[in-house]
Amino acid sequence: MSTIKIRTKVNGKDVEAEVEPRTLLVHFLREELNLTGTHVGCDTSNCGACTVLIDGQAVKSCTVLAAQANGKEITTIEGLSRNGELHPLQKAFLEKHGLQCGYCTSGMILTSFWLLKKNKDPSEEEIRKNLSGNLCRCTGYQSIVESVKYAAQLMNEKEVEREMAVR
Amino acid sequence: MSELKWGDRELAYDSSAFVRGSGHYVDDIKLPGMIHMSVLRSPYARARILSLKGGMSSKDLGARMASVGEGASPEAGLSIEPVFATGFVNYVGEPVAAVFADDRYKSTDLLESIEVDYEPLEPVVTIDDALKLGPIHSGRKDNIMVETSKGTDFQDPESPIVIEDTLENDRISANPIEPRGIVTSYTDGMLNVWISTQAVHSVKEGLVESLGISPESVRVMQTDTGGGFGSKGGLYPEYVMASYASMKFGKPVKWIETRREHLASTNPGRGVRGKVKIFAERNGRINGLKGEVTIDAGAYDSGIASFSPGFVAMQMTGPYSIEKAFVVARALFTNKVPQGPYRGAGRPEASFFIERMMDMLADELAMDPADLRLLNMSDKPFVSPMGLKIDAARPFFEGAVRELEYRRESKMSRGVGLSFFVLVPAVYPGESARIIVKDGKVSVWLGGNSHGQGHEIFVKKLINEELQVPEELVTLYRGDTGMTKTGVGTWGSRSAIVAGAAIVAVCKKIKQEVEKEFGSYSVRSLLSSGYDEFINNELKMPLNSFGANLATVEIEKMGRVRVKKCAAYYDVGRALNRDMVIGQIQGGMAQGIGQTLHEGLFYNKEGQLITSSISDAGVPLAEDLPNFIVNIVENRSFLPHGAKGLGEAPTVGVPTALTRAIESVSGKRLRRTPVTPEELMK
Repeated sequence: MSTIKIRTKVNGKDVEAEVEPRTLLVHFLREELNLTGTHVGCDTSNCGACTVLIDGQAVKSCTVLAAQANGKEITTIEGLSRNGELHPLQKAFLEKHGLQCGYCTSGMILTSFWLLKKNKDPSEEEIRKNLSGNLCRCTGYQSIVESVKYAAQLMNEKEVEREMAVR
Repeated sequence: MSELKWGDRELAYDSSAFVRGSGHYVDDIKLPGMIHMSVLRSPYARARILSLKGGMSSKDLGARMASVGEGASPEAGLSIEPVFATGFVNYVGEPVAAVFADDRYKSTDLLESIEVDYEPLEPVVTIDDALKLGPIHSGRKDNIMVETSKGTDFQDPESPIVIEDTLENDRISANPIEPRGIVTSYTDGMLNVWISTQAVHSVKEGLVESLGISPESVRVMQTDTGGGFGSKGGLYPEYVMASYASMKFGKPVKWIETRREHLASTNPGRGVRGKVKIFAERNGRINGLKGEVTIDAGAYDSGIASFSPGFVAMQMTGPYSIEKAFVVARALFTNKVPQGPYRGAGRPEASFFIERMMDMLADELAMDPADLRLLNMSDKPFVSPMGLKIDAARPFFEGAVRELEYRRESKMSRGVGLSFFVLVPAVYPGESARIIVKDGKVSVWLGGNSHGQGHEIFVKKLINEELQVPEELVTLYRGDTGMTKTGVGTWGSRSAIVAGAAIVAVCKKIKQEVEKEFGSYSVRSLLSSGYDEFINNELKMPLNSFGANLATVEIEKMGRVRVKKCAAYYDVGRALNRDMVIGQIQGGMAQGIGQTLHEGLFYNKEGQLITSSISDAGVPLAEDLPNFIVNIVENRSFLPHGAKGLGEAPTVGVPTALTRAIESVSGKRLRRTPVTPEELMK
């Protein structure tokens, strides 16, 4: 099968690759780039386990061709921690037990990342609504909602600290 | 030679890896030369295969599946599923042939190259079909897989009140977010298997029996497992195919299930009907119970299907002291995917039957449902005519009524449902554990495998209590038949009980060894030396516990049910970790709501599966669910570490409480789950 050339930035690194036109972004990330933190849970774009950020927006990577990522910037769960330090969302999911089997976790965290970028202090209702494209079969969602709330608090505290430091 | 180069860190069960995206699930494995397997499945519920060209099929591998895992019984065997369909197909999704290619895209393409001619036959789709139509398997006289009874038959007592009804739970797909999957590699006479599973030993035993190979030549290793809920407890045809293929081709083979395959071909749970007759006095005292239980077992005996009838029947008096009871129970063949265990596996069904009848009896007598229930309970331990052993029920449930604020809730609103139950964990036959102390570190393996329940947390805690080893020096590794000679599995609310008891037993053995060597025990002596102990810790007694749920609802436009309150009051024994206990209960409550409101696997008259996605199957969303109220009661069990079971309690208690709440608001008699908006709008 013929291939096409794509250029993207994945977790801050430039990537150039030849892909089959039919290759889904999720398989490109997992199998070509070995970024196996992005998971596949369904074949119908329902479960959200494959969620990544494309140009900052949460997208289900099983519904996007790798070719469509050409020229775009992608962030996966592996790109969330900085210099080995966990992102507040990662810390919050651990501390508030926002996971059990761990399979939906990457997608939950990336969708929450997007939500918290749009809305620094979401209500419980807003969190539940925004996470409704991500399925979890283990937790019953309550601990996930608590994790997102706690992450929002951690991120806001961090921002205040940063502002204080600037002053 | 292909081997997986995972070091100690990769093999340890470490849930903190999941937030980094650095877990080790089965689809993350890549071995040199690995090929991908795709499976061609039957598009018909029932058909004769006239011809088949291409792919690997029953011509290559005529094996039948071994009956292993939860509920597997030695009597099973007459109606076991073939690895590949042989002459006939008996359900939509049944494996017919397999193909192999370098990657999953190419192996999916290759499915098109297989040519099959089918002659469709009239399928047996429902329980009623199964009773009416001829047998789906030639050589049998009807569609009855097994028939059994519990209790002793009795003449109908002279009772002023007799009520009778038929109740049903539809089938439900387990739908863990990670589908099933396996990687196999055959090198130097050794079959290495990496798999997403609840029970490495079941898979090993199954492969040994199905392929006729020696136990020494198979090693089954668990990868991080993205949920199971019963569906990953035993052997499946694809595991035998992938193992056989790696032996035949000399290459590692990977198979990863798609969600559509999961819905069509992974053993779903429930699918049970109960006909129940209650004889009672006008004051509400029940004189006797008679019942008939019918399991929609699907096309083959998965193991649990032949175990379920007796298991459901045995529990049908619930926590009540009913002196006379007799239940006839059978499993029937239908042209659907074989039924398997789903969180609760027989427990929720039995509870649905007795609890629905209690509510109906309360309505018949115009009594309060809680009062009626308490009236039929004892202050003393009780053994039911069907052999169910329970502790003194009334004191516990009086506490439940109080703590769940039932009286206040029922004054405030019409839509209140209350349920009482007894949880029967799968204690039998115990569990194994191995502990190695080396280089100042403690490494642990269990016979049953964690897949999100937090085994690592109670393992560390119990080892710290027994041996005073700091928790950070203890590592729990994933399931591995190479490291444990025998083992059972994680299901049936059993792990804290049986794996906990096994850990305590190994610790005691090691402590004795240390005392022998050093004269007395100290953690310093322990860590300065080396030990390697394995115990297969047998436990065979019942360890039942009580629980209660309360639910309140509103019915919105178009028959949509909004759950306002969903509360639990469970005796969990000693909670080894409170957060984990609450997490298990919340997750189970979500599944209980799912079963009641949304979940089902639906087939049309031709036996075609019309549920085509995980959303269609009704897995609840974040916005569907309320925050849960969890009250735990810690009455220690008689085991040294005090644990009881809890994982399945919510799937037993929530559907019954919630169904009653909806019934109270809607005024409609409800007899089945899921309770659909269509039914409420009628």
